[in-house]
Parts: sequence; structure tokens; C-alpha cells
Amino acid sequence: MSQDWQPYLLSSLPEKCDIVYTSMNRKITAAIILAFLAIPVLSQEMILPELKGFKKITNYPVFVPDNLWDFINGAADTYLALGFVDLHVAEYKKGKDVIKLEVYRHSDPVNAFGIYASERSPTYSYFDIGAQGYKVEGVINFFTGNYYVKLRTYSEKPKTIQALETLASRVESMLAGEKKMPEVLSLFPGEGKKINEETYINESVLGYSYLNRAFRANYQTGNDNFSIYLLKSPSAELTVNSAKRYLSSAGMEPIEGESRYVVDDGYNGTVFLSWKNDLMVLITGLAKDQADIADKYASQILK
Amino acid sequence: MKKEISRRGFLKTGIAGAGVMAVSPSVLTAAALKQETNIIYRTLGKTGLKVPVISFGVMRSDNPGLITAALDKGITFFDTAHGYQGGNNETMLGNVFKNIKRDSFLIATKVKPVTERDGKPNDQTSPEKFLEMFKLSLSRLQMDYVDILYVHDVSNPELLEYKPLLNEVIKLKKEGKARFIGFTTHRNEPQVINAANADIWDVILTQYNYRLAFIDELKAAVSKAASAGIGIVAMKTVAGGGWLDRERTKPMNTTAAIKWVLSNPDIHTTIPGMTSFDQLEANAKILSDINITATEQTDLLASLAEPGLICTGCRECIPSCKKNLPVPDLMRAFMYTYGYAAPSMAKTLLADMGISANPCSDCDTCTVNCTRNFAIREKIADVTRLAAVPAEFLT
Repeated sequence: MSQDWQPYLLSSLPEKCDIVYTSMNRKITAAIILAFLAIPVLSQEMILPELKGFKKITNYPVFVPDNLWDFINGAADTYLALGFVDLHVAEYKKGKDVIKLEVYRHSDPVNAFGIYASERSPTYSYFDIGAQGYKVEGVINFFTGNYYVKLRTYSEKPKTIQALETLASRVESMLAGEKKMPEVLSLFPGEGKKINEETYINESVLGYSYLNRAFRANYQTGNDNFSIYLLKSPSAELTVNSAKRYLSSAGMEPIEGESRYVVDDGYNGTVFLSWKNDLMVLITGLAKDQADIADKYASQILK
Repeated sequence: MKKEISRRGFLKTGIAGAGVMAVSPSVLTAAALKQETNIIYRTLGKTGLKVPVISFGVMRSDNPGLITAALDKGITFFDTAHGYQGGNNETMLGNVFKNIKRDSFLIATKVKPVTERDGKPNDQTSPEKFLEMFKLSLSRLQMDYVDILYVHDVSNPELLEYKPLLNEVIKLKKEGKARFIGFTTHRNEPQVINAANADIWDVILTQYNYRLAFIDELKAAVSKAASAGIGIVAMKTVAGGGWLDRERTKPMNTTAAIKWVLSNPDIHTTIPGMTSFDQLEANAKILSDINITATEQTDLLASLAEPGLICTGCRECIPSCKKNLPVPDLMRAFMYTYGYAAPSMAKTLLADMGISANPCSDCDTCTVNCTRNFAIREKIADVTRLAAVPAEFLT
């Protein structure tokens, strides 16, 4: 079975961390400890900001992949599939008003975008925070760098809502990482693209376990609604292999030198497949006789 | 000459594709996914609903094709929640089901009330907010009613008796917005299930798998509830998401794990999560065959030997330690160090317990029996090294 395009795997925890201390190897020991702590998939301590007038309560444990279920139950699976590393939670209380802050750290910015995008709606009110964020009914969610941040209050008091925004801003400023959307998103053609509907699917694209790491954008042109999946693999060879495997699963023999096919794909309907170098494009939602639309968009991406 | 993608190219291969369509494995896949024969159904307690032993935990799926394929396969019960994917999960299901005959499938959703951290209701446990969220769920699902409405995440029996919320869900049932009402439980399951009043609650959704430390206690609670007529749905049947280790290097025999759950007749259906046709195919086979094979039995036993990182705190190990060490607390220190990368927390805990480096050094053999098969002696040796490290070196 091909191992290409497999989902991101969490690195191993160190089996042992040899941190025996003596005066002779003090510096070495420190280096070992720091190296140990620097392993990116391990959770880290985080000092969450204060909020004037509110009492910060941080008596939640740091949630890691083993116990995320304890906090968000069945939703945890989606987070885990997207490289969840750790979660820090705090509550800010003032009288009966509570603001809850959750800072999810993922393995990389693409996965952080993936989890953020899976929970957003284009109908929300977007504003300038992090790489992108929005407000909706006592909620502020945003992502920046490797982090997905969620804040919520059930209070409707204007002062508490203001405090929610202040806290969001403070958290944003303390988190490391670039405040930008994944670069691959810029490859999607703008014409007809539905705003803020892009998502990231890190495994089983269209239900196929060998197609992974796709960005998806939805489009509407006239009465036609369709989706474009863009898969960028580490190499052109992997792209070709995945495409051939998909064709093979559809009973189609790849034609030498040909890189665009119309696939009749059972439950997924008609799929327009094309690729070039390390990019693969899958277009769904169009009928077989709408190849001109598929061609136009694929050509723009694979130029 | 550089070959450009062109309309002609797509059309040409489209014809080629059409030429092989008759034997297309995608089409074959669809054919292979036709409804299983001899599907095993169980009655979901007093609801009287006939449910296949495999249902669909939709939480991670965003592929409408997979839902349709599952329906064709005979999986007719779908489980979602108000909070899954920020509501996008319900929206996706709504778009799939809007053109499907309503009585040909069952749908359950969950709404989570605000509670204290220990699960107790507080003054923010608002039935109005619960109702508002449920109405939004119905709107996303594009349905007038759901078959089961769960109160999501009941970890304290007090919530089951909280009248304002209770009255609201009973009202929704009377109004026909929810045919049946239930709750889900993720912590203190035996205690919560034992507290369920069968005159009120129709269905319980609980975690249930062969790796739970308290499975005997849970099994007894489930048996009591099922005997009282409450329908039992099992979740987290594939403990660890299908992997035996967090590095995802050791796959679990998921079929064996689900069959093990179904070997208990008090479990009426299961809701494994599925995101691929492969997973659907594998789970659909269980629809008509729940007998655990010898190989599956062997796999289950072998996987029980795989430890995780989290000590469940069952405390059964304490009497077996010759030195009366606080083993669960030492395992907690291990988790702080290796799980949270917070060795300073571990060092503080060690200091509080008065534990020095390698307290097991004068024991020839370790007599501690861990229910999770942790290598207790090795873990204690690893973590207690921190006792000798100056605090200023630790984060």
C-alpha cells in the first residue's frame, strides 16, 4: 500500500529522558532538558493573560491528546486528526459573568487553519484578529500560527462583551506564529468563490484513505455550484502516484502523458481530475457536459 | 511542446472514462456497498426503534457521499451534535437528508447545557439557552423533529434531576420536536447511568470499550438501565481512535473492538466514526456478523497489553506495592513530565510526596499490578530522576 500523502503523524515521545544531575554535567543536563522541552509535539506551559476586573481561574489541567475527550467529548476526534498538541483553558469571572478561554495548539499552521475552518460559517461577522477571526453571539474564535483560540461568554452585558474583545486581543498578541492564511489558498481562482468557505481536509478526501491533505473551496457561477479540492503533495511523483491510484480505483487506465480525466465516481458523482507537478485538482458538483467550466478553473490553478 | 489543459482534453478523457464506466470500480464500490443482507437489528429499549447494530457517528465526516453510501448499506441511524464542527456537521446532514424520506432514517443530536466544571447545574444552566440551541440544530438539520435529543455530557447525577432543564426536554418530547430524549455521559458513567430515571429517559449514550478500567462497573450500570427499558447506545467503542499508541504506529483491530462491545446484548447499537469508504466497508461487515473470531480475540488480548500515558487512577495498584508508594500520584508526575512537558509540576508533586530519586532501587522485583499494564518500575525510575534536578533547570 502506498504511504504517500499520509496524514501528519505525531512524533514519538522520548522513551526516556536522561536527566541525571551532577555538578560536572550541569550544562549538558540543562541542554537535555531544554531539548526535551522543545520537542514540538509535547505540551507546554502557558501563562494566560490577566483581565482587569475579572478573576482568572486556571484550575483546569492542560489537555493533551490522551485526555482531550474529557473536555470536548466526541468533537475531540476532529481535533486529534488535525495534529492537536495541547489545550490550555482559563475562566475569567466577575460576579456571575464568565468568559471562558480555550487555546488549542496544533502541530502546524495548516492544521490550526483546518480546525478553525471546520467550525466557522460564512455568515459570521469577521474582523481583524490573528490570521482570521470572527464574532458571533458572545463568541470570538480566531486562529494564528499554530493556535486556534476560542472565547465565549453567555453574558450579554456590553462591558463583558468589551472585556471579551480585550481578552481576545491580548491572547492574540501573546501567541507566536505568523498571522496569515495558508499560502495554498491563494491558488484558488477568485471568480465565483464563496467567501470564507475554504476548508482543509487532512485525510480521506472524498472518502478515499489514500487521498489526503486537501484544501477545498466552494464556488457558484450562475446556477452551478461546485467544489474544488486542491492537493499539494511533497513531490510530483507522489501526485502522479495518487492520481493513478484514484484512476485505478475508478477502473480507468491512465494514458501516458495525459493528466486530466473525467471520473464517474459512484457516490461522489462526476469528478474532474487533473494534475501538474506537485498539485492535483479534483472538481465535484459539475455534470459531465460541464467540462469547460472544470477546464477553466483547473487551468487557472495548474498554470 | 508544453501540454496545456484544455476543454478538449477533459472531453476526450471524459469519453474514455465513459467507455470504462460499466466496469468502473467506483461504480463497483457503489454496488459493493449495496445493503447487507441479514442485518442484525436490536430494539432500542422502550423506544421500540429497531436499530442496526452499527450506526454512524458523523462527527468527523463532511462527505455527503459517505452518508448516502452508509444509507445504501443499511446503516440508518446517524449521530451528530449541536457543537460538532461548529454546527457544520448538522448542516451537512441536513443537506443530505432533505431529499430523503424522513421515516427511512433516524437521527440523534445533542445539546450541551452550561454547567459547573464538576457537571453540576448552576445559574447559567438555562433551559431557554438549551431550547435556543436545539431550535438552531433543527434549523441546520432542516427537520421538524429529531428522533433522539440528548442532553450532552452529563457527568453529575444532579443535572439529571435539574427541573428547569428536565421540564424543557420533556416539553420538547411532548411537542414532538424530539421523539425520544436521552443523555450522553463521558465521565462518572456508572454513577450517572445508575441515577437515570427510566420513567423519564429513553436512551443513554455512553462510552463503552474493552480498554476501560472500570468496565465491570459500567457493564453493571448498563445492564440495570437496559433492564429498566432504557435504550443503550455505545460510543468510543474504538478506544484511542483506532490506534493503540498516540504515535499512530500500532493500529487496533477495530472490527474486533466493535464486536466486543456488541457481544453485550444490553448494547443496542454502536456509533463508530467514519470518514472513508474503507472504514464504512469494514464496519458494514459487522452489520450482519458480530461473532468475534479467534484471530480477533487474539488481537484484543494483545492490544490490552499496550499501555497508554494516562493513569486512570483506579488505585488498585496501591496494595500491591511492597513500599506502599503512591503509585497513581507518581504516574501523574510521569504524565506531567512526558505528557505536559511540565517537569516543574512533576518535581513539585514529588517534593510534596517526599519522594526521592528512584525509590524502587532496593526492590529486587516489582510486585505492582497495573490494570493498564504500565511498566510501573521503569516509569517511576524515569520520573523520580527529577527529584535530583535543581528547580531552576526546570520549566
